[in-house]
Amino acid sequence: MTSSSPRPDARPKLEGSAVYGMDLEVPGMLWAALVPSPVAHGRLRSVDLSPARALDGVVAIGAADLATLLPGSTGDPLRPLFPTDTVVYRNQPVAAVAAPTRELARQAARAVRVDVEPLPVVSDLEEVFPEWPGSNAEGPERIAAHVRAREGDVDAVFRTAETVVRETYRTSSVHPVALEPHACLAEASGGTWRVRTSTQTPFGAREDIASLLGVPEESVVVEGTWVGGGFGGKGAALLEPYALLLARASGRPVKLALGYREEFLLGRTTLPAVFRMETAVTGGRIVGRRVRLLLDVGTSLPGRDFATGFSIGFLLGPYRTPAFEVEGYAVRTNKPAFGPHRAPFAPQCVFVLESHLDHVAREAGLDPLAFRAAHLWKEGDTTPLGQKVGPFGLPTAFEQARATAARWRAEALPDRGVGVAVGFWSTGTGAGGEVRLRLSPTDLAVVQGEREIGSGSVVAGIASVAARSTGLPRDRVTVEYEDTSRAPFDSGVFGSRTTAALGRAVEDATHALFDDLRTRLGVSGPVHLEVEAGEIVAQERSTRRPIRDLLNATERAGGGIVASGRHYGKSGTIDERKVEVGTFYPYTDFTGVAHAAEVMVDRATGSVRVTRYAAFHDVGTIIDPATAPAQVEGGVVMGLGTALTEEALWSEDGRLLNPSLLDYRIPTIGEVPPVEVTLIEGFPGAGPSGAKGLGEPPMIPVAAAVALAVRDATGAHVTELPLSSERVARALKLL
Amino acid sequence: MTARSLALTVNGRVRSLEDVPGSERLLDTIRWRLGLKGTKEGCRSGQCGACTVLVDGTSTLSCLTLSHEVEGSSLTTIEGMADDPVGRVVQDAFARAGALQCGYCTPGFVVALVGLLRERGQSARAEELLADLAGNLCRCTGYLSIARAVALLRAEGP
Repeated sequence: MTSSSPRPDARPKLEGSAVYGMDLEVPGMLWAALVPSPVAHGRLRSVDLSPARALDGVVAIGAADLATLLPGSTGDPLRPLFPTDTVVYRNQPVAAVAAPTRELARQAARAVRVDVEPLPVVSDLEEVFPEWPGSNAEGPERIAAHVRAREGDVDAVFRTAETVVRETYRTSSVHPVALEPHACLAEASGGTWRVRTSTQTPFGAREDIASLLGVPEESVVVEGTWVGGGFGGKGAALLEPYALLLARASGRPVKLALGYREEFLLGRTTLPAVFRMETAVTGGRIVGRRVRLLLDVGTSLPGRDFATGFSIGFLLGPYRTPAFEVEGYAVRTNKPAFGPHRAPFAPQCVFVLESHLDHVAREAGLDPLAFRAAHLWKEGDTTPLGQKVGPFGLPTAFEQARATAARWRAEALPDRGVGVAVGFWSTGTGAGGEVRLRLSPTDLAVVQGEREIGSGSVVAGIASVAARSTGLPRDRVTVEYEDTSRAPFDSGVFGSRTTAALGRAVEDATHALFDDLRTRLGVSGPVHLEVEAGEIVAQERSTRRPIRDLLNATERAGGGIVASGRHYGKSGTIDERKVEVGTFYPYTDFTGVAHAAEVMVDRATGSVRVTRYAAFHDVGTIIDPATAPAQVEGGVVMGLGTALTEEALWSEDGRLLNPSLLDYRIPTIGEVPPVEVTLIEGFPGAGPSGAKGLGEPPMIPVAAAVALAVRDATGAHVTELPLSSERVARALKLL
Repeated sequence: MTARSLALTVNGRVRSLEDVPGSERLLDTIRWRLGLKGTKEGCRSGQCGACTVLVDGTSTLSCLTLSHEVEGSSLTTIEGMADDPVGRVVQDAFARAGALQCGYCTPGFVVALVGLLRERGQSARAEELLADLAGNLCRCTGYLSIARAVALLRAEGP
């Protein structure tokens, strides 16, 4: 390649030299396969490994082998690696095998005889709770989480309101569909469990693997590879413990990679939900809201669900709501555990709230956009849960989206409809993050523990922050990766946090570095770095020294001056007096997003085509001008999938009916509209230089904007996602 | 079909492979026998395009091709694009347009596009090329930067 690239990782990815989890290979390795439960719920009578073990070169392990493989360990009693008495979802691993070839491993897995007595399957959450759960409904084992918050005399508000609108919404199960399936390569030697894996969270995976195996965290080493897409699906541990156990059992390195069908069946999925929404309006103002959320969390463990208390906030805000009662239940069903999916569950909640408020305004005889605009949070407001709203570009983004929509509407052909939707997000922090800077005579390295998952947050985001904070040109900055035994800790690449949290850690390390340089130069004034004839030079008013001259012998050998930095972010606080049950979450900052969609709806089939799209994002500060708008484009198109076609279908017996890319349809190149991206600066957030996270926000209002555009075009009020042609046709009474 | 030897030209080099089972897919021959991991395994069932390679210059899904079907053919993978003038121009356009994120679909897109340019000639319009890339899935970019890479190619050649 001849020209310079806007992405430092372009070359290895375009030339095919980037090594992903799927590509891992070492001499002598075995291939592994998991043995799936044939039913979604059942009593495990026996798992007979002998037919697999009879095959030449096959190693097979099940629950009975754990005591030998993990002496003295009980693992995680709540999450046994292999069930001993009951299976709780279809395809739950009940045993694992390894063999010299991938084909033989699959054959061996099929040879294992699994005898299960089927038990009644709970697949549909409305089957569990046809009415709202009472306090004793089905017993606590059905409920993974219960949250409730309240403000004001809600019953009185609803009794006396001029208009009350009650609706029920439903959203479908969606899968991340990272193009690279989960894959890892494990080695177990001596007391060390070492695994190379395609993960968003090397340290999170280490913690999870240690907990599942019941071994000390220090004995587990996780090395990340390039990640072929994550979108929330590649956090924590999934395959690694099985590969490690097989490596221990066989004494060989073991590769475990999912096929794409297995990726659908075992990969993490966001599950269906039901929303009951009630809004009371008097004098053109929202005076009260009731929300009832039932969220299917599959076999998530009680107490480990975050989604319910987190997402229910998106059914109130970003709108001023003086009186409310929100209540949510995370319901356990016989499906794999709930998994996050880029802005977990926010696109679904925002679809519900925006569609509902649009409908409420129409019912009350009000202009829907003006109605929503009149209630938007602005900086200085207090959220319904009592957190003060910080710098917030949402009102600005909304006005720009509204102006764009008005322009489109003026130009639009008669068969088009236009929708505007808003949402908000908060830059994640996770537990925190740390980095090391290493300043050599010619370069600055940022040494850290995350691998690039695609957004650019690691290779471009962190590098850009380091360039900005040290004053060096970005082509002098490299980002280096180390495994969990050597790298400074970081929580993971998720939650729109990576550039923000590690960027703040880079800023912190930069302060330490410059303090150190002042000491070495014997000066007290501001120092800056320059590049002169290929060498980095430290300059204070009258003092000027090449970095080369400032290194001691150890630093010359080790590559440069090292400085560490950390960022452990804080969220704001909510008013806990409003919380009656469970956990609700405060935000670190307030990130606004407003989108406009134009659609064309086929009046005969109900099929929806998005014809143009505009996205307005409150980003605080632009860190990397190349990758920031690319995040928005990619997020919008992923959101179009959630809006229009993506739906994992579960049968009554807990079977995923469409585990393939033909039957679970993600957007293709032919369905993508032009997308105008506008990044709004000036409302600072929690990241470096006031930046706000941008990985997830582009997903958030897409389904809502498309639904409102469909209603604008046709009058169809669709209360379920996705807006498949069948659902739109039903709403139009074509079916 | 039992295992037998297989001769192929791979990125310009003649390769002779022993004991290749009749059921082996070209994707696995490329990745695990030839060690060329730039060709990606996605769905392994012809739905995503990540494993696209050129067989005698024609864009081919290596996951749906048995290796013995292409006996004697000339195979070009992403690793061979460095020696291909059209390949280099396509890679350069992708780099300049920022037309990649996680990169997992990227080799398939590059190879498919090189195949299309070969097949349809230099006069193919950008819209035709994009329509013919519909068999390649990308989950990260939303395809817009890929479309810009194609537009760059149309504006500047090849």
